Amino acid sequence: MEQYFIDIASWSVSRAINESPWIFPLVQAFHLVALGFLAGAVLMVDLRLLGSGFSQQPIARVARDARPWLMGSLVAMVLTGVPQFISLATKEYSSPYFRWKMLMLLIALIFTFTVKRFVAYAPEGRFGGGVTKVVALVSLGLWTSVAINGRLIGFFS
Amino acid sequence: MADFFAPLRSLFEYVAEFPSSIALRESQYVMPWVFVLHVISMCMFAGTILMMDLRLLGVGYMQTPFSQVQRRLFPWQMAAMFLSSATGLALVWGNPMNYVTNIIFWMKMMTMVIAGVNALAFHFITEYALVNWDTGPRPPFGAKLAGGLSIALWANVIVSGRLIPYALTWFRS
Repeated sequence: MEQYFIDIASWSVSRAINESPWIFPLVQAFHLVALGFLAGAVLMVDLRLLGSGFSQQPIARVARDARPWLMGSLVAMVLTGVPQFISLATKEYSSPYFRWKMLMLLIALIFTFTVKRFVAYAPEGRFGGGVTKVVALVSLGLWTSVAINGRLIGFFS
Repeated sequence: MADFFAPLRSLFEYVAEFPSSIALRESQYVMPWVFVLHVISMCMFAGTILMMDLRLLGVGYMQTPFSQVQRRLFPWQMAAMFLSSATGLALVWGNPMNYVTNIIFWMKMMTMVIAGVNALAFHFITEYALVNWDTGPRPPFGAKLAGGLSIALWANVIVSGRLIPYALTWFRS
């Protein structure tokens, strides 16, 4: 497994990213811009599920409106995340925060596209306020832990 | 360049001598967590601002009247602004000399001021005639301009924020 990460770091594209003084910083910066959009799309639905946000709109309507921005920002996150990963693959391999981030990301994605999606698109009133609030809090907790571990990768490794 | 920073430098040097500044600087774990909180509050702030901007541009959340988008997001935007300002201030407080001559840091500060002016201009000019387009499918030019500028400016704030540490290697003064 470790050899695989070493191989990735030695790809010529990985080394090119590392050798440039500005590619990595700019990719990092746009990763954060995409994070802003992702956080917004996640928050609009979670706030609505909490009974705040656009509370005069049906939940499914807010979820449908947020969906293109959720999908678009996730694509942008991956496009700006992969270059960072391949250029630092050997460092990421040994970083506990990177492992935690990937694990929480996987759980957050599965939760978002199964439980949260099911509850958000259910006929209005099918789930009580208790259920929708728990779903929103779990979603917020999962995505926040992804962001926290992401930031910590850069500090402790 | 040096003249421009001179009065600021003495202020920042003054702050750097405070026991609280020294304590923050010397703490091994506090600063990383302040950075983490700064990112989390950025998510909350940028998220609620950008989604409102999409509505202003007429490309997102069009099924919700703008007035409702604005009213329901405003408390979150203000809370997030408070949290990101507090954590941002703590970051500068702990390491003032890292920022005082950092050109990217000052670009970020100036861009935030311009973004604030843009928001106020929208509030006092375009939002005045809100009843005419609140629920309509196409926001007027002024609304689109405010939304587009806001996205561009806040994206710039995020990008320059991330690039602050690289200024030291990119530009040697």
